[in-house]
Amino acid sequence: MNIPESHLAQEAIAALVDGELAGGPAARAARHLTGCAQCRMAVQAQREAKEALHASADVAVPGDLLSRLCAIPFTADVPSTDGALSAGPGQLTVSGTTGSWAVPLAPTPAGHERPGHARWLRHGFVGALGILGVGVTALALNLPAGSSDSGRPFPEPAAGATLEERTEIVPPLVRATTVGTAVQPSVSPGGTP
Amino acid sequence: MSDASDPAPVTEAWVAPTWEQVVRDHSARVYRLAYRLSGNPQDAEDLTQETFVRVFRSLADFSPGTFEGWLHRITTNLFLDMVRRRQRIRFDALPEDTERLPGTAPSPEQVYSDTHLDPQVQAALDALSPEFRVAVVLCDIEGLTYEEIAATLGIKLGTVRSRIHRGRVQLREALAHLAPRRPVTTQDAVAEGSVG
Repeated sequence: MNIPESHLAQEAIAALVDGELAGGPAARAARHLTGCAQCRMAVQAQREAKEALHASADVAVPGDLLSRLCAIPFTADVPSTDGALSAGPGQLTVSGTTGSWAVPLAPTPAGHERPGHARWLRHGFVGALGILGVGVTALALNLPAGSSDSGRPFPEPAAGATLEERTEIVPPLVRATTVGTAVQPSVSPGGTP
Repeated sequence: MSDASDPAPVTEAWVAPTWEQVVRDHSARVYRLAYRLSGNPQDAEDLTQETFVRVFRSLADFSPGTFEGWLHRITTNLFLDMVRRRQRIRFDALPEDTERLPGTAPSPEQVYSDTHLDPQVQAALDALSPEFRVAVVLCDIEGLTYEEIAATLGIKLGTVRSRIHRGRVQLREALAHLAPRRPVTTQDAVAEGSVG
């Protein structure tokens, strides 16, 4: 029941180019195309547009964006109504309405098929810890320097501002976690003062 | 151990990836999609950042196997939100003030070096309406099936087909106008089509 006058529907032309037509309709469309230059042209135009886009190579992610993305656990606010970020010994836990998702801070005891897991993680956290540590150290060093600076008539407001800034920069939660787990994994056992 | 009796053995066997692994595995895909949709690196970076913030905030709702579809959905929705927000702003503001914002659009050379996508192709893509652009990009650049696109955008299969078709027609017309070596007039194209 082929009606030669009718042309392929536009949707069918796109679907044909994308291989999204089922066997029967695809065969009918192919038969129609052999006798219809207008539809062949339409198919060709779709194909050319598709190929023009398909020819594009991968885009490289800018390095600074990548590090910003990796730092999201330390920089993003997690609204307390939707979810929460909490740190326990050995893992970060993101809790939500339907459950919780743990980010392990140590190699998982089972399932060692991907050793890259723990290595990435440790690199990430040690790196973050290093940055945080440097920041804390720098601020700590700045505090006495700022207060002993004789050039400033009022050292108190300056010190206060610095303190305020520090609380914003370093999430206390994360600091506690990293110091507890990553820095001193094997401190001498008799270390209690 | 108790695989047979456990109602969800798949979830149990699944090991949650680290955040950095999530970023490394998926950032290139998200950034590329954001770049193709927005057409410039600033918006692409913002969209990518926002997508991963959303992912991080809702990791608790994440289930394995749906991750890529989820990322596509977040990125495209953020993009469409961004476009609608800007259209609203442009509509509300005085046209002569906001019609042309100099310095925000990258040069064609910049676009090419960033994306290796022909600047004319990216320009033609940028000229499409956002709804058509999303459908065409998800199909031809991301390689999603019609069904996946329908699920990502929350539209019907017929709408996917029609948006892809019309988007490609517009794209092809824009490219034909830019590159006159490939004529689309009926007589020429008939001869061309009968060869292939």
